[in-house]
Amino acid sequence: MFTKDIISWIKQSTKSTKFYIFVTLISFSLVIPLVLRDSLSIRVLTLMAIFTIYASSWNLLASSGQGSLGHAAFLGVGGFTSALLALNLGIPPIIGIFIGGVVSAGIGFLIGLTCVRLKAWFLGMVTFGFSIIAETLVSQFDDFTHGILGFRTAPLASSGLPFYYLAVLIATLCIAIIYYIMKSKMGLAFRAIHQNQSESKMIGINTAKYKLYAFAISTFFAGLAGGLYAHFLRYIRVEIFTPANSFEPLMMSVIGGLGTIEGPIIGSIILVAIDSYLPNIDKFLPIVHGIFVGPYLRLLGLGIFLVIVVIFLPKGVSSLLRKMYNYFFTDTKKANNIERK
Amino acid sequence: MSLEVNSNFLAPPFLYFFNLRINLLFILVMNIRGKLTEYTVEFLMIDSSTLILTIMWGAAIGCIYVLLATGLNLIFGVMKLVNFAHGELLMIGAYMGFTVITALGVNVYIAVFLSMGLTALIGIAVERLTFRRVLGAEKLNEIFVSLGLILIFDNIAVLLWGDKSKRLISPFENMSIMLGEASIRVDWLIAILFVIVILIALLFLIKKTKLGMAMRATSQKGQTSMLMGINIEHIYIFTFALGAALAGAAGVLYGIIFPFNPYIGALPTIKAFAIIILGGLGSIPGAIIGGLLYGIAEQTAAITLGSIWRDAVAFSVLIIVLVLRPEGLFGKRGE
Amino acid sequence: MANTKLIAAVVIVIIVVAASVAVWQLMGPSEPTIKIGLVAPYQIPVGQDMDRAARMAVKEINDAGGIYVADLDDYLKIELLIADTGDTTDTAAALTAVTRVIDQGADLLIGGFSSGATLADQVIAIEERVPFIITGASSHYVTRRGFLASDHPLYIGDAEGMSYMFHYCTTVFHYSETVAHFFAEAMKPLLDNEYGFSASRKLRLAVIYRDDAYGQGVWDATEHFIETDNLPIEIVAEVSYPLTTTTFQAELTTIKAANPDAVYVVDFTTNTATIYRQGQSDVGLNTVYIAVECCEEPEFYTALGEWGDHQLLESKFASYAGPPFYLPMMDTYVADYQAEYDTIPGMMGADTYDAFYIAKEAIENAGTLEKSAVRDAIEDTDMEQMLIITESGRIEFSTEEDSYHEIAPFTFVEQLIYDETIGECRPKVIWPTTAPGVGTIKQADFVLPENYEPGS
Repeated sequence: MFTKDIISWIKQSTKSTKFYIFVTLISFSLVIPLVLRDSLSIRVLTLMAIFTIYASSWNLLASSGQGSLGHAAFLGVGGFTSALLALNLGIPPIIGIFIGGVVSAGIGFLIGLTCVRLKAWFLGMVTFGFSIIAETLVSQFDDFTHGILGFRTAPLASSGLPFYYLAVLIATLCIAIIYYIMKSKMGLAFRAIHQNQSESKMIGINTAKYKLYAFAISTFFAGLAGGLYAHFLRYIRVEIFTPANSFEPLMMSVIGGLGTIEGPIIGSIILVAIDSYLPNIDKFLPIVHGIFVGPYLRLLGLGIFLVIVVIFLPKGVSSLLRKMYNYFFTDTKKANNIERK
Repeated sequence: MSLEVNSNFLAPPFLYFFNLRINLLFILVMNIRGKLTEYTVEFLMIDSSTLILTIMWGAAIGCIYVLLATGLNLIFGVMKLVNFAHGELLMIGAYMGFTVITALGVNVYIAVFLSMGLTALIGIAVERLTFRRVLGAEKLNEIFVSLGLILIFDNIAVLLWGDKSKRLISPFENMSIMLGEASIRVDWLIAILFVIVILIALLFLIKKTKLGMAMRATSQKGQTSMLMGINIEHIYIFTFALGAALAGAAGVLYGIIFPFNPYIGALPTIKAFAIIILGGLGSIPGAIIGGLLYGIAEQTAAITLGSIWRDAVAFSVLIIVLVLRPEGLFGKRGE
Repeated sequence: MANTKLIAAVVIVIIVVAASVAVWQLMGPSEPTIKIGLVAPYQIPVGQDMDRAARMAVKEINDAGGIYVADLDDYLKIELLIADTGDTTDTAAALTAVTRVIDQGADLLIGGFSSGATLADQVIAIEERVPFIITGASSHYVTRRGFLASDHPLYIGDAEGMSYMFHYCTTVFHYSETVAHFFAEAMKPLLDNEYGFSASRKLRLAVIYRDDAYGQGVWDATEHFIETDNLPIEIVAEVSYPLTTTTFQAELTTIKAANPDAVYVVDFTTNTATIYRQGQSDVGLNTVYIAVECCEEPEFYTALGEWGDHQLLESKFASYAGPPFYLPMMDTYVADYQAEYDTIPGMMGADTYDAFYIAKEAIENAGTLEKSAVRDAIEDTDMEQMLIITESGRIEFSTEEDSYHEIAPFTFVEQLIYDETIGECRPKVIWPTTAPGVGTIKQADFVLPENYEPGS
């Protein structure tokens, strides 16, 4: 039954351009490290893959109308769980990252219970508060977590290409699952809640239930991303809970395109690339009044870029790409027809 | 050992139950860390005069949060806009004060008003150039813009004023008034006085003037007030400028009391947000009481449970309040 | 139509940016250089201080002709590569920065600030076998982690790789040892004498520290020295606070209740200044405050104002206690630095500056840029001490007894005196009297602050 479904799905999808774009992107992501080769690029690509999972998990939660401002809590919980399991019990990280995801989802579920009644800003602040509480607890129980100084995490795969391919594999699986969820009835419910909670309640959607589902699923992927992140950096410390890590997925999702599948992917590629490659211009920048302006000019430029993007592309870069896609791949006659109608 | 301490921990008997709970928690924490030593007992012997002083310190720092939170709430109430970069206006306000003082050589407390004006102008520019263009779209885009603005303001400040801490020196630098055993700085008291005066002026503006009426109308029913002939655009500009001016005042007062650098904005923003969420979005009395409560809760937690817990306790209080009252202490139900 | 224009505009912008970046990338200097990567948190003031000192050292060395490499029979210039580790909280950024400079062909790394970030990013240098002179991480684990028990969470099994790590920096042990001994040997006799305390009365010390690796490390080391050296000091209060704290009245009230004779403040510049000030003006904790040596930065003096009058600061590089300084070399360094950048140098830059000269010496001794030879040469460093005073008066990394490479820096205590004409405090060295290889460093006697009240 199941295999039949898959075969028919493949048959169907080979007809659509989207499928080919998907295949092209996957093969591109597999080939590009072989072209770039330098260890910085492979590191950056791996970070992109990990942040794709993290940003997508945040985006899934935001799709259900719950914009979290404390997702770093789940990144950290996933990372610490997996790293500590490997350190203390010798559990292999490849299993540990999924346990980390499950633990994070469990905590996410409990936090979700306090959040389902809350509206947007209240929810944002409560999740932010939980990330602060998580940080305090991890540094308070330092004897157990070793979080204050940090510690060396076990290797998940040998660094470089093997880790990159593993990260791409896991990221692809996660994106596929999130895509499937968003296409399913559950995804429909999420979007309905996002658009209008009281109306979706009226048409019989159990909003509390679906919001909890969104919380648990999202925090599972965030925890998984945290595990990958911790084992990729080979180091974890309490700074993983920093608010910057909470705002990162928001920025990635918004710049890429909120509520879309491709948005967080594009966003994490753009932001990680800027963060990692822009410092290359440092050597051309001067010292002014005893201050090396490089980092400050870079960050200032990033800020201006972000504001300009969101002003001119309020639906993110993906909306621009969609326009380009329609421009190139849609029959102009057909488009004109639609316009006329 | 802990029970002996209990009896002389706090004088007022009505607080006894509360004390007992605090003590138990404290001992538990110390045991887990394996550091239950003799001096922890001395910590617990806090007399009531210290407690009163702690509350006053909480209220004093709370005052600066109140200014920030009120501005934030004003902007939210009228424009339905969440500005995470509001604390950056506080930072800019402090630097504006610094610039005015070095350029004109005025008294720091006169600089409060000059800085309010200058920061308001910057606020207008920010509103016109950025928020205006994303208003009404996806709410998360507004947060995104404010995150971009944080980067812009922080780094412009470093490039203009340098990365090192500065401070504003008040003529009352050395003066303090004795209150029982401990003293309180005159500057703290003046800051509290300034906040009270500014808040009274603000309430007068909102309640008694035509402009304030238009603001209230816009905040309740934007569409209808437009039909009534209110120029919403102007109201938005004015509101944002007013919020920025409050942040500017908070900035100079902050600079008188603490050293400041380009990065001081982030923390007060988060606290101001916690406060308006606690007090209720859009409610100005909520912001005032929330601000004082937050300041006091933080200081009291630091002195009873141990300083490590100050943020965690403050946010726990926030979460508990929201679980019990999802709309905040003074927020409107429903909507 | 508007859409097409927008798309065109975006495409053009992307192409222009990409092209200009590509052109910039290609415009690198073509002649061979010695590439030294400076690993520093450029987004906080200490990182900028490290950068200024590094540029000064590079300029001096290059102006003098460069570094002679026997292999090539040529003088090569130093090219400074920037590894911006951000603001020390972002582990990923630190790793990326170190990877970048190693990819760019760094022959040697200098710098590193914040133990947590350095413990993470040094691994890249260990794996790639790039010599790394660490000048800023206060945790001794950065060089000792290769020699821990194998189940220690920081353990690195790669002994060969660990041999590329060199620690040219004070660790938390150095700070705490000096401070603990200062209290036992200088302050306690003074108090006993002044207030008629019996010799058996222990000095009542309170410690207030930031709750991170740095603060915890100093606290643990202080406890360790009081116990192992059997010092007549009693810890009467231990308070730590989260990094987000800006007001300290509650913490200081707790300390005041414990009646200390002195307070050891473990935090960086701005917070330490705030603690000094709030302790005296708000809480009425009129005692002796001592700050860690990381506060020897211009920012500390600005933020402190007159509240530091007669208070203490530990130091290893007293750039404010002169001129004239206790080291002739400091006279020129401080003057040059001020002429170039219009600010007084901080202590982080001093380590960095020295490290460039250690690198120069090592490369010249090795006669090659081959990394293992450079490592061996650094290991054999035996130079006259430079800006940082060491216990032996010479720069030499420990090798024989201990297999890890550390120097033994010498720290001392300064007392700040308020100078009304500049509106800031200026320090005088008060303890100990002499330093190895320097002679007398003491500039004034330790006097208790006017408002001092001893503990009960």
